[in-house]
Amino acid sequence: MKNVLAMILAGGRGERLYPLTRDRAKPAVCFGAIYRIIDFTLSNCLNSDVRRIYALTQYKSISLHRHIQLGWNILSAPLGEFIGVIPAQQRIDEHWYQGTADAIFQNIYTLQREMPDLVLILSGDHIYKMDYRKIIGLHLEKKADLTVAAIRMDRRLSREFGVIEVDGDWRIVGFQEKPEEPKTIPGDPEGILASMGVYVFNTEVLVRRLIEDARSDSTHDFGKDIIPEMIGKDRVFAFDFRHADRGGTGYWRDVGTIDAYFEANMDLISVTPQLNLYDPQWPILTYQSPHPPAKTVWEEEGRAGTAFNSIISNGCIISGGSVKRSILSPKVVVHSYAETEDSILMEGVDVGRYAKIRRTIIDKDVQIPQGMEIGYDLDEDAKRFTVTGSGIVVVPRWIRL
Amino acid sequence: MKKKILVVEDEEGLRLLYEEELKAEGYEVLTAGNGKEAIQQLEAGKPDLIILDIVMPVMDGMEALGRIVGKERKIPIILHTSYSGYREDFMSWAADAYVTKSADLGELKDKIRVLLVKGKAR
Repeated sequence: MKNVLAMILAGGRGERLYPLTRDRAKPAVCFGAIYRIIDFTLSNCLNSDVRRIYALTQYKSISLHRHIQLGWNILSAPLGEFIGVIPAQQRIDEHWYQGTADAIFQNIYTLQREMPDLVLILSGDHIYKMDYRKIIGLHLEKKADLTVAAIRMDRRLSREFGVIEVDGDWRIVGFQEKPEEPKTIPGDPEGILASMGVYVFNTEVLVRRLIEDARSDSTHDFGKDIIPEMIGKDRVFAFDFRHADRGGTGYWRDVGTIDAYFEANMDLISVTPQLNLYDPQWPILTYQSPHPPAKTVWEEEGRAGTAFNSIISNGCIISGGSVKRSILSPKVVVHSYAETEDSILMEGVDVGRYAKIRRTIIDKDVQIPQGMEIGYDLDEDAKRFTVTGSGIVVVPRWIRL
Repeated sequence: MKKKILVVEDEEGLRLLYEEELKAEGYEVLTAGNGKEAIQQLEAGKPDLIILDIVMPVMDGMEALGRIVGKERKIPIILHTSYSGYREDFMSWAADAYVTKSADLGELKDKIRVLLVKGKAR
């Protein structure tokens, strides 16, 4: 795998995740109490033995940069391994990245310097466990120029995805971005093949197609421009995610919206989550600052520190309050007589006495004052917080209550 | 209307030579002594084609190439250099042609003709 260079697109604004993305890029958004979204892609790389990795950042990159610097400085430079962060630096042109393809084109000098045989292009926005060795294996076997990872989705979801059309040999013969009337899978009229934003390219072909794209009127996007352009003239194949799915459950999430983000987190507190974080063969790595273990205190009638069906991270203190079906990042304190239900509390959140929290996401370091109720009167909540269509309240960072 | 060619070349003698040769071919010629001047000329003079030397002071041709493409995606560009090694630079592939400098300007003139016909059709 030494001849493979991974380029992770980590510059997305994640506007539909606002306000969680107000202070950070989407890949840096916290997920599953202790992880950042990009940890899943980075862990996939390391577990797949891909050890030359660049993350391309753009907007609001400080949080992501800090996380990678603190948590992912674990490879061996003398062995030629690295995880580097490349901010948008206007090396070629004086503008921000104009699309996913432009982001790679603007880093053409990095490809020149590293000279990999293959470039593995990934998104830092997705949560899944995938063995990239499998797609690379197929790419080499088919002598492909480009191989695109694909996951089966219900055809009704076609407007959310790039939809791949394949022939019997899984060679890609069509690609439509977010179509109304999608091409379904042969023999499976209810299914479509959705692009996962995972691409394996031969370096030379990639560079030539990026340059052609840069020199044409285009949106400079892999899905909209590069792939459709290549289908006619290059060997472009699809790869079935099921052959490389390390979870075995077909789990792959974009968590593009607050509701999807909430549901994906809540899956983790079910008895047997679809996303298994306990596989010793496929560890998900992250950065955690050192905290003492979680603890509960008080055991009196009406004042007991309790937690049910919840994830409680290090540094948390459930001090005479109750936590049900919630996800607590490190250093969360729930004070006496307070209640939290079906909620996500990020690092350093402090829930004051008698406060009641329900179906709410509270961003980092927010102090909930004594007696405050959130998630019980959505009209009232909507006056100062974001409330989603399904009634999830989001309390943003830095808010003073 | 005469087609306008921008010659980017740091050696004054060569620049004059190319200018005269191309004028004799019936082209209007703009000149620049380095990449930075080339970008100014691109905006001020609106050329139809650019002949770009690579090794130049102030801003070299390879850097100018990226910036030119960023501003005028489709303008035909010929890299014109004494060195063949730059062909291995990925960025050189962004040019429409790569011509090694020679006393005989035949190849350069041929490429100019072909690319001007193709023009900005891309």
